[in-house]
Amino acid sequence: MLEMFEYEFMQRAFIAGIFIAILASLSGTFIVLRRYSLISETLAHSALVGVAVGLVAGYNPLWMAVIVAIASAWLIEYLRSSFALYSDAILAILLSGSLAVAVIIVSLGGAFNNSLFSYLFGSILSVSDSDVMTIIIFGSLSLLFLLLFSKELYFIAYDEEVAKTSGVKVKFLNFLLVTVVAIIIALSIRVVGSLLIGALMVIPTVAALQYRVGFRATMLISLFFALFSVVFGMMLSYYFSLPSGATIVLAVITIFIISLFINNK
Amino acid sequence: MQLKFKVPIFDIKNLSFIVRGQTILQHITFQIFHGEYIAIIGPNGGGKTTLIRMLLGLEKPTSGEIRIFGKRLKDFKEWHKIGYVPQRASHVDANFPATVEDIVKMGRIAKRNLFAVMSQEDKAMVHDAMVKMDILDLKDKMVGTLSGGQRQRVMIARALASSPEILILDEPNTGVDVKSQQRFYKLLAKLNKEEGITILFITHDIGVIADDIGRLFTINQKATICNNPKEVLSCEEMSELYGIEAHLIHNHRHEH
Repeated sequence: MLEMFEYEFMQRAFIAGIFIAILASLSGTFIVLRRYSLISETLAHSALVGVAVGLVAGYNPLWMAVIVAIASAWLIEYLRSSFALYSDAILAILLSGSLAVAVIIVSLGGAFNNSLFSYLFGSILSVSDSDVMTIIIFGSLSLLFLLLFSKELYFIAYDEEVAKTSGVKVKFLNFLLVTVVAIIIALSIRVVGSLLIGALMVIPTVAALQYRVGFRATMLISLFFALFSVVFGMMLSYYFSLPSGATIVLAVITIFIISLFINNK
Repeated sequence: MQLKFKVPIFDIKNLSFIVRGQTILQHITFQIFHGEYIAIIGPNGGGKTTLIRMLLGLEKPTSGEIRIFGKRLKDFKEWHKIGYVPQRASHVDANFPATVEDIVKMGRIAKRNLFAVMSQEDKAMVHDAMVKMDILDLKDKMVGTLSGGQRQRVMIARALASSPEILILDEPNTGVDVKSQQRFYKLLAKLNKEEGITILFITHDIGVIADDIGRLFTINQKATICNNPKEVLSCEEMSELYGIEAHLIHNHRHEH
């Protein structure tokens, strides 16, 4: 069973996957608790615009994905705070808008091919050395932010106004949180794929919430579920030659269903 | 009333709040001093909550000035001195992953430094607040499983953990049974008398607490300030503004 680690591509995929599992579940906890789960889907589609530009223009698609996802996250926050629009409507508009732009860029550039397919659904074969480096650099910065401000982010998730009246810099931290989520999503599309990363952000936390335990325990359970799903999903992907995003998502959904049943009997 | 300091905690001058041409509050002027125990009453939609939200910087007044501890609101940084318990406090989302202790610990966040974990002092303050609110035995319980009265005490413990000089509560008794309400008012009176914490709260059941409070503000677009709530019926404008409620108070007082 361990022979798969003899392949360098599997080593890279595992390093990237484990990093992403940690980042997606930690940031996902705050997103879910704030009833903001849909932002992960929208940012994933925005990241796809970056991938499209990268593929067509010959830049590093992962870097482009990070840049476009951050720009999209800022645009969402700007629209949310400056106009009287429902935030779920903003997310829906940007989601389809991004996908439309990505498809047009890819069509015009003639890049509809396997490479694009791997960005949609994830591929353990495609993780390069430079991808791993990008994931480690941006991922470490994101992780540092999440760990430093976890108490404040938790407070904001609990009650934004009370947090504000307690002197927490709510606006600034919200802005940083969506930025970090954008980065994490963009980094994840190599392994999980842009159509499936939302699930890895949201489902481990929703599954962990079923156990009705305190903040720290919920985070740890969510982290464990995400790690398990990514590792197990990548192994399935290796043995059955399936897109890794799909196997990871099915693994995490299975965990969710089990959690739901054992806690709601 | 003993005034420990000359600088008022809140100094409100000529405050008005107008939304889309509709006047919610106009020309509100008052001061709140250290050690006071003040109740705010008034009809629904009269602007009570808006007023409190302006004091906390959550709404911007259309005109007028707010000073907190002598500073202008935008220059005020010591938010840990103010403990706020919002109206919806007792209706926490039942699935929110928080133990009682998790919530009370939030009260220490305003004072913490970056990188700092909970210090011994933080832990002591959290413990102290739970003891004062009599919720220490609930500390590992999930807030979603508590009764309305218990949750209310958790929310106040969170506010107390930052060692505030003033507690501001918005209809703290919504969704709380009568027995817990009485216990709650005793706790508030105790915090005010023994800890010297200034208390400002919105309520609609003034009768229960009329004996403890120092001043009564009636808010209905304008503010009417009643310095002796025991003679609440003689506050002429108040009966005018709030006739029915004044009658209720009258009945309550006979029962006691």
